[in-house]
Amino acid sequence: MPAKAVTLTVPELTFWERIYLVEVAKGLFRTMSHLLRNLLPTLKTDAYALFGKLPPAGERSIPTIYYPEEKRNYSNRFRGRHILKKRADDTLRCVACYMCQTACPADCIDIVAGEHPVLAYEKYPVKFEIDLLRCVMCGFCVDACPKDAIWMTRDYELSFFDRKSAVYGIPELTEKPGDTAEGGPGYGYRPYYGASPMRKAGEFQPSGLALMPFLDLRNKAINRMPAPAAPPAAPPAAKPAA
Amino acid sequence: MSTDAPVSTVSFAPVLERKFAGRARPEASGRGDVPTISVDPASLHDVALFLRDDPSTRFDLLLDVASIDRSKLPAEQLPRDGKRFQASYILYSTRRNEHLRVKAAVPEARPSLPSLVDVWPAANWFEREAWDLMGIDFENHPNQKRLLTHNGFVGHALRKDYEAGQRWLCTEEDILQTDLASKTETAEDAFETMTLNFGPSHPATHGTLRAVFRLDGETIVAAEGECGYLHRCFEKMSESHTYSQVIPYTDRLNYCSPMINGNGYARAVEQMLGVEIPPRARAVRVILSEFSRIMDHLVCIAANLVDIGALTNFWFLFQAREEIYGLLEACCGARLTSSYARIGGLSNDVPENFVEWSRRLLVEVKKQVDEVDRLVSRNGIAMKRLRGTGLVTKENAIAWGFTGPCLRASGVPYDLRKDKPYDGYETYDFDIPVMNDGDNYSRYYVRMEEMRQSARIIEQGLSRLPSGPVNSDDYRVVLPPKEMVYNEMEGLIYHFKLVFEGIQVPAGEIYSSTEGANGELGYSIVSDGSGRPYRIKVRPPCFPLFAAFEKMVVGGMVSDAVATLGLLNIIAGELDR
Ligand code: SF4
Ligand code: SF4
Repeated sequence: MPAKAVTLTVPELTFWERIYLVEVAKGLFRTMSHLLRNLLPTLKTDAYALFGKLPPAGERSIPTIYYPEEKRNYSNRFRGRHILKKRADDTLRCVACYMCQTACPADCIDIVAGEHPVLAYEKYPVKFEIDLLRCVMCGFCVDACPKDAIWMTRDYELSFFDRKSAVYGIPELTEKPGDTAEGGPGYGYRPYYGASPMRKAGEFQPSGLALMPFLDLRNKAINRMPAPAAPPAAPPAAKPAA
Repeated sequence: MSTDAPVSTVSFAPVLERKFAGRARPEASGRGDVPTISVDPASLHDVALFLRDDPSTRFDLLLDVASIDRSKLPAEQLPRDGKRFQASYILYSTRRNEHLRVKAAVPEARPSLPSLVDVWPAANWFEREAWDLMGIDFENHPNQKRLLTHNGFVGHALRKDYEAGQRWLCTEEDILQTDLASKTETAEDAFETMTLNFGPSHPATHGTLRAVFRLDGETIVAAEGECGYLHRCFEKMSESHTYSQVIPYTDRLNYCSPMINGNGYARAVEQMLGVEIPPRARAVRVILSEFSRIMDHLVCIAANLVDIGALTNFWFLFQAREEIYGLLEACCGARLTSSYARIGGLSNDVPENFVEWSRRLLVEVKKQVDEVDRLVSRNGIAMKRLRGTGLVTKENAIAWGFTGPCLRASGVPYDLRKDKPYDGYETYDFDIPVMNDGDNYSRYYVRMEEMRQSARIIEQGLSRLPSGPVNSDDYRVVLPPKEMVYNEMEGLIYHFKLVFEGIQVPAGEIYSSTEGANGELGYSIVSDGSGRPYRIKVRPPCFPLFAAFEKMVVGGMVSDAVATLGLLNIIAGELDR
């Protein structure tokens, strides 16, 4: 039995509370006070609305957000639409390693890898599709990427007229200037760079894990990869995204 | 990961041996797991009676019936007795503060066990579920029929040879043929009574639940609850996902307080792995769990007050909830689908202004709660609606498997945060509010007080929030920091292994419980040593609550049934999984 259980008792009603009328008045007073406190600024809102404007946020006491003219401010961790990041030379950072596809619990990423003409980049995604109708916006793909290639934005206004258009391919996913421009959604969920203080203090030990021979690991990973479709006919320009 | 050998921790082993020599044996249980005994099916009923009544056992609360199909275990773990199915009864003793798992294995040819409904009435729906999803037959069960699936369903979905993704047509007859509805046509009193269907999409059910009432005038003379409308195969799906990939699924269990589910799940797996999470992660989990608890209670009370006609409070309370969502979103990136917990820590550190923000928020939340308290707690109408309705005595609450605020409103001070402290709850100073009436008013009032206690916990947590990392340093469990992944081969290998193979949880079994907003949220996890859970069974706190609903409302009026349903706080997401 826990040491600290407090037994509550039902509050006893006083005579005035029992005859109720006084209480009705008191309750009404309480709710009315809220109403009045809200009403005045609301009238002001209406006045602004006459001129098709929104009142400045400071002049309101009600928490209602006038969507869609006005949008909720989300934090810069918000998990919205994905973007594929680009290198300085405008190619996609993604090397088609299938990690995000493997980590995705909703099984909604579809990648086909191709040989990149730039030797150092090795591979690139010929096809990179996210089915946003299946996606649960968990951000696991962001966590899984070893190349810092996929981030999320704060864009949550995703609506589609048909299922096909909900499948975003490379053109839709590639980061665009508008994503971070003034009035754009801005970056959301990013990889957590974290800190490993033990490691910094030189204490990090691989804790007895029998490291798998790297080759074996690679074979395993490669086995899971679907064979790339026909190699791209003409080597694409340095910019794989259309 | 330590290698301490499993030991048996059954305290009453000598008595058990004396009474049931050979027919019930203590078993070794793994690290962090509850004590376990295994029982021959033939003696299960006798052992159950002994466990419930003997002074050395006194397991009065049946928490869960988890079932497992062991046929696909790796060869070295296959059961030696060759019995394919096994049921695990999770018990708790409110007097001795002890958990126990009782295992009984049955062969494939005749998978039948004696029903324990007469020992613990709470077993009723749990056994129905085990029959529905695993096909274990319970002899003498009063009402053994489908529960989470519908009557047109063929097979038992959680058997390992059942292929996920099959579809079964559910015709209108499959839905409408509840016994209750058909009985009215033939019963002698059909002339006097009428059947009223309530739900599954009725505004007062706050979710997709269904109840069918038989009414005599306005009085309910019989009732039957039905669930399963929101069944999403959580347990089946988790078997084909890695341990980390299950986390997003847990958000959708109790969607009014998603963080608690994720934290509880992560903790269960951490216990199996023997991984300690850093103090900062523990404190953050506690703080956000308590915020979630407040949120859950806010929704429960707000929605219930709407049902009984007090709309204003809804706005007051939902504003508070809205603001809490803002804080949660700043931590994890989503308001509801939080997925914040990771096995071994958290997905991200809390934002910089977390402490200040939470403090400010707490002031606002308390203000709104006090406002509602002033409006409702001493309100004559609310009292008349809530007092004396939906009565559950202490004995019934235990027998029906209640936990959480509903059990405490019936006078049993069982709270895992005090009784089996986890995540450092033992270091916080807070009270467990209890009421003895067991009516709707108690359930309302206990929740009001719990919110204040949660606020106390949060304040303490904020004032001593430790600094440091939020993730364990064990890179077999936690993804290594990105700087390592991008720059070092070693980091990349760990990363690769984790993503492609998942966390390798050692073979074993655990029952790990968390105090959810609605009661004891239990995860029974069985691992076969691979990267995917072999079986996960969730003990949803509101499952026994809804099972008892049909008994609680009999004799009352329909409008009281609505108040009762609201204050039991049935969340369809966790009820149906
Ligand atoms: S956010 Fe989650 S569900 Fe969506 S694509 Fe990424 S991993 Fe898959
Ligand atoms: S994990 Fe990153 S690099 Fe690998 S395929 Fe996905 S986006 Fe590309």
